[in-house]
Amino acid sequence: MARAWESIQDFESFLDNGGIVERTDAMPDEFRNAVFRFIELHANSEQMGGLTERDWIPRTPGLRHKMAVLAKTQDEFGHAHLLYMIAADMGIKTRRQMLEDLFAGRSRFHNVFHYRVETWTDQVAVAFLVDSAALASQQAVFKNCSYGPYRRILKRIIAEEGFHMRLGEDRMMKLAAGTETQRAMFQASIDRWWWPSLQLFGPDSKPNDLLLRWHIKSERNEVLRARWVQKFVPLLHSYGFTIPDDGLHQDDDGRWHAGPIDWEPLKKTFANVGPDSERRISDAAAHWHETTWVRTALESRADTQPAAGSTKSNVSV
Amino acid sequence: MTALDPAIAEVVLAFADDEHLMGQNHTEWIGVAPFLEEDLAYASIGQDELGHAAMLYATVLDSDEDAEIDRLAFFRQPDAYRSCSFVEWELRNWSDALVRHFMYDTAEELRWKLFVDSSNPRLQAAAERALSEERFHRRHAEALIDNLMRDQEAASRLHSSATKLSALAETMFSSVPGETQAVAVGICAAPFASQLEQWRDATSLRFGDLVWQPDTSRASRNQRHEDFAALHQRINTVFDLDRAAVW
Repeated sequence: MARAWESIQDFESFLDNGGIVERTDAMPDEFRNAVFRFIELHANSEQMGGLTERDWIPRTPGLRHKMAVLAKTQDEFGHAHLLYMIAADMGIKTRRQMLEDLFAGRSRFHNVFHYRVETWTDQVAVAFLVDSAALASQQAVFKNCSYGPYRRILKRIIAEEGFHMRLGEDRMMKLAAGTETQRAMFQASIDRWWWPSLQLFGPDSKPNDLLLRWHIKSERNEVLRARWVQKFVPLLHSYGFTIPDDGLHQDDDGRWHAGPIDWEPLKKTFANVGPDSERRISDAAAHWHETTWVRTALESRADTQPAAGSTKSNVSV
Repeated sequence: MTALDPAIAEVVLAFADDEHLMGQNHTEWIGVAPFLEEDLAYASIGQDELGHAAMLYATVLDSDEDAEIDRLAFFRQPDAYRSCSFVEWELRNWSDALVRHFMYDTAEELRWKLFVDSSNPRLQAAAERALSEERFHRRHAEALIDNLMRDQEAASRLHSSATKLSALAETMFSSVPGETQAVAVGICAAPFASQLEQWRDATSLRFGDLVWQPDTSRASRNQRHEDFAALHQRINTVFDLDRAAVW
């Protein structure tokens, strides 16, 4: 049964007491809009992340290696599929509208997918650094997420992302134990992807961050970022790689701290004018438009099917 | 050292190369399909086809070592491949890719059935697994094509693709030296070409009567399609950085 709250204060009190909001609840519009935008960003990022992967699948070295990368990419598109579904259920945009906004450059996706994967070792760096950063953020959302459908989907996404991170780690270790060429290539990839990975966590959270207040996010951006630095600096050092941060230092307790972060590149990706934004969006849009005839044909078929007891196509386009 | 007679190994190698390159072709369409469910389907089917290729290469080598399988799958010179032109062909639109998916998987299912009672235990096990997957591949292609064929524009596109692809599709059935010997010792039940009429019937059922004019100039599995060189280079992009390295 749909629940409703008398005031925003009542609603926030419900959330503070560990309440979980469901799709059918009469949630405040501000909450609905904020959660929708957050899930849409996540869905778009899975979609564009999948496209990052697909560029390198045909060139993946080895049959079983390629099957593993294919499975990972299938997971990423699967996550997009699930996330678009729960976002669409919020009644603000359909999946098609979300995809059309994405391909028209009207909506956002994570900063890291505005960069070009130049080499195979970039692909590994993305799997190792970016996926781990994304996983850290998702785990923090899952921990205390007040929107039920998102929380349930995140459980599955996090389980699969854990495998992706281990695949990335396994591939990184092969490069670390590899030839001089491999190590040099991977160092160059760390140099390219370190800062975008750090920026993925976003600037320090604002004191009035609504997503924190409404228990969508459970931890501040700077806390998550610092924890990630704490883990990955010693890990990369242990394999003999360096971090491209002149300001990186350890405090008296041995904790690692990143140097000052330039947020300009992140802001550019917010505006869809990152280093590779134009190509990525236009390529995705071109493929989308080239296959309009398929979606149109299936929609017209669905429209002409009898409703009751029919074999109506359940294809969602 | 292969456990199979070299002539018979060529039969299995031809099948392996077809599976490998078809799986590879599927990977090119992930993320650019008309809707998300198709991205997922192509990713899944691509994995299956590459898995079939790995099982067949393992049979040729009589080894399950990944490094050996990859050397066979990737490092041969072009003239040592035994794939058919149909799977070497680079297709550039989704209608062609969907029709090839149907044509290939319909043929592939018929092909695997020939190995169900193989005298080679590896092939028998591989056929059992592959057939459990292939029926889903074929049904996927059939369901989508059947829905699309009810729309005039879509039907026209798919029919054009079927007409275009039919010339090379029959290269799938091109014979391999050693096939007669393979049948004689029970490796497979019959030459693959024996399934051609059944495949034509299944194809016509979906697309109506097609004019079967196979391009006989491309029938030999010892010659490569002009698109093969780029495909071969693409699949070896990373390996070629350092062939001695473990990637």
